[in-house]
Amino acid sequence: MIVDFWQATLALVVLLPGAIFVVLALLWLMGWVPRERVISRLTHLTFSLIVLALTAMIWHLSASGASSIVITFGNWFAVHDYHFPLALLADRLSLPFLLLTAALSGLIGKFSATYLHRERGFLRFFLLLQLFAFGSLLAFAAGSLDLMAAGWEIVGITSVLLIAFFQQRPAPVENGLRVFAIYRACDIGLLVGVFALHHWAGTASFTNGFPSLHETQSAMIGLLLLFAAAGKAAQIPFSGWLPRAMEGPTPSSAIFYGAISIHAGAYLLLRVQPLLAQSMLGSSAVVVIGVLTAIQGSIVGRASADAKTSLAYASLTQVGLIFVEIGLGWRRLAVVHILGHATVRTLQFLRAPSMLHDYHKMHAAIGGELTPAGRHLAKLFPERFQLWLYRWAMDRACLDTILDRFIVDPLMRLSRLFAMLDYLGLDGPWRRPEEVPPSMQNVARQRGE
Amino acid sequence: MTPASRFTLRIVAVSAPWCGAILAAILARHARMIACAAASLSVMASLILLHAAAAPVRLNETLMVLFSCLAVMATLVLPKRDCNASTIAGMLFVVGSTLLAYTTEDLLIFLIAWILTAAPFFWTEFFAAEVWRPRVAAGLSTIALTLAILLIAAAGERMAIGELQQRSPGGMTVFWLLVVAVIFRKGICPAHAWVADAAENGPAVPTALLLNGHFGALLVAKLIVPLFPHAASDLFPVLSYLALATALYVAIRALTENSPRRLLAFLALSQSACILAGLESRTAEGISGALVHWFVVTVSTMGLFGILRLLEVRFGENLTASRHLGLAEQAPRLAVFFVLFGLALVGSPGTLSFCSQDLLIQGTLASHSLTGLLLPIAIAMNAISIFRLFVRLFLGKRRTGFTVMADALPRERWILTAAVLFIVLGGLFPNAIVGLTR
Repeated sequence: MIVDFWQATLALVVLLPGAIFVVLALLWLMGWVPRERVISRLTHLTFSLIVLALTAMIWHLSASGASSIVITFGNWFAVHDYHFPLALLADRLSLPFLLLTAALSGLIGKFSATYLHRERGFLRFFLLLQLFAFGSLLAFAAGSLDLMAAGWEIVGITSVLLIAFFQQRPAPVENGLRVFAIYRACDIGLLVGVFALHHWAGTASFTNGFPSLHETQSAMIGLLLLFAAAGKAAQIPFSGWLPRAMEGPTPSSAIFYGAISIHAGAYLLLRVQPLLAQSMLGSSAVVVIGVLTAIQGSIVGRASADAKTSLAYASLTQVGLIFVEIGLGWRRLAVVHILGHATVRTLQFLRAPSMLHDYHKMHAAIGGELTPAGRHLAKLFPERFQLWLYRWAMDRACLDTILDRFIVDPLMRLSRLFAMLDYLGLDGPWRRPEEVPPSMQNVARQRGE
Repeated sequence: MTPASRFTLRIVAVSAPWCGAILAAILARHARMIACAAASLSVMASLILLHAAAAPVRLNETLMVLFSCLAVMATLVLPKRDCNASTIAGMLFVVGSTLLAYTTEDLLIFLIAWILTAAPFFWTEFFAAEVWRPRVAAGLSTIALTLAILLIAAAGERMAIGELQQRSPGGMTVFWLLVVAVIFRKGICPAHAWVADAAENGPAVPTALLLNGHFGALLVAKLIVPLFPHAASDLFPVLSYLALATALYVAIRALTENSPRRLLAFLALSQSACILAGLESRTAEGISGALVHWFVVTVSTMGLFGILRLLEVRFGENLTASRHLGLAEQAPRLAVFFVLFGLALVGSPGTLSFCSQDLLIQGTLASHSLTGLLLPIAIAMNAISIFRLFVRLFLGKRRTGFTVMADALPRERWILTAAVLFIVLGGLFPNAIVGLTR
């Protein structure tokens, strides 16, 4: 395989953060703890190099008139007819996302070197930032849905570990667990969607575009991938995890839920948009979910009491609108919307702690509160409906309650029933009561034995 | 390599742990060193056998290398408190017997190895738990296998597995007896509860060693499929559905379990059931995925049980997943190892299990499009359970009752890093492992 300069550059761009993560993590596991300055300089250098390389690639593509750079490493593994293609693709869709990821990761690295100075977990944050960048770059540069799924899951894991960054407090830790559960549940859609694509099209690679499928097949694949994208982008009915994710440090909230991770779902849908366009049902579902999320995000965001949650719901509203644009087939508008929104929202998130400080200063200067804005919409509704809407918004659209009541609680009840079945006979004729181990004694006590 | 030298190497691989067991019982003060040397000798002999084996039929040798490496890992990760003569001797005895089962091509020797691996768990001086279900399951599976082999012998058949291939020796009765043996030994629903009992009440590391022998899957791969290809193709869906149901049932069961040992046992069982589901999918992807997953589950569960035991020794045996214990503050490296092994068990990218689960899902969905959906659902639930255990054990505010304890010691750190490297490098270059399973 002959690799030209640009293909090698693309491979390096994706692999560099991953390699740095692996080396640093292994050295730490063996007992070495690097100094803060070493970590922040390494991060700065990494992302500066990647941004330079990506800028050069964009310049090369526009100068040469080529539409994409593709590098194929053959199959990662292959068994019989099934193969996992290992191909990276930098085209007009993925390059803006790659550049955005690298630039914002570098920016967040620079910001966090000061923000997290002498914080416990400084190294952990930067390791996870490198891993996140690797996952995102892999997902955006993937030439097949299989490879995109790998990057997608890495982004999910780092996201959860950063939500639980302040590990001494129980709330972030439990919220991290909740987000992880939703991510993993929604990833089933991606896994089964990839399987369906392999099954019907023979491959999940899109370096040469998607094959034309039957409308039902396209609809099924589209709906499965929409399920995965909705989970990652916190669309209805999974929006409840987004405010929980705000427990992480501000820089990680900025890059994950203001910029990159929240748009990963939209990127997936943009990638498979040719498939979605083959099915009316698939595209309509994307539009409907987007519209509902945008309305919900807009209303709930207005009732949010803290700055980060308010910004999170503002992000959700915009991502909902981006879903609508994708469903309607306005791909270019969606890409521009994503780039603009990600940049502005990152700035807002990073400014959130000092913005509160500024507001306090302004309130002190004018001797009262600033005139509240944004009530013109509320005035359109009758007062009773406003109150109902306010309560609904305070409950965050009851989405978590619905998920709990119809999915989590029945599953937990079933699990407890299975536990009771497991313990049947343990305190029977073969077993003296004092032999019942502690974990089983609770169950026996509940049964009144 | 000549058959004689191959036979000699097999003898070395099997007898080294047994001799080590006797030596460890005599020289109790040097038990760990003896165990490590004996297991290393087995690794070397198995590696030479693997190197010399012809490409299409290397499963036995591959499993021997895997299990002898696992034995080295188990002896090094074993905490000092557990490192007494009886535990080490029992572990080496299990290792030797398991290697015998992997290497033999004779039904009678296979039966003897099957019985020997379970023997230390009946013996109070070694690993006998105080609960009855593990003993009953081991007993019933042994009776079923013995009856099956007796029926084959009664039918006038030879005992060499190679000569019995595709002949359905003993008919359907033998087939069903073998299936019953698999169900009880593997812990397939409804005979699954013994696995959690054994893990909770027995010694953690030796029990992990016993579970990781995967004798149920071995029976399927070594006897049922080659000996009964026609019956297998007709009746395998039944066993496959049972395996998928077990994977899901146990995954749901684990969601509310708070005992870390039972929880890990359920996860190990659910993921092991995926191996069986893959083997029974009768697709190349499913079978390859199952065999690669065998590697992953073996190394990951040994790592997880080993770390859990290290935590129990340091922080007491009343660990629970019902509240946050905040152990990462005291043991950050053990926390990282735990999350790495945990994520590796449930198919995270960057680990070998990403590849194995991709193949398993492709294989089972291609074989049973609707029931195959249970597999990714079960894996997702297992991921949630392992992450819950990690969160509860390691994160949150540290309990004041715990005294300051050491993080992973250099001995533990090195061996756990080696295991993590295997899983990660295997994940980055999976073709090397997938190639062994073809």
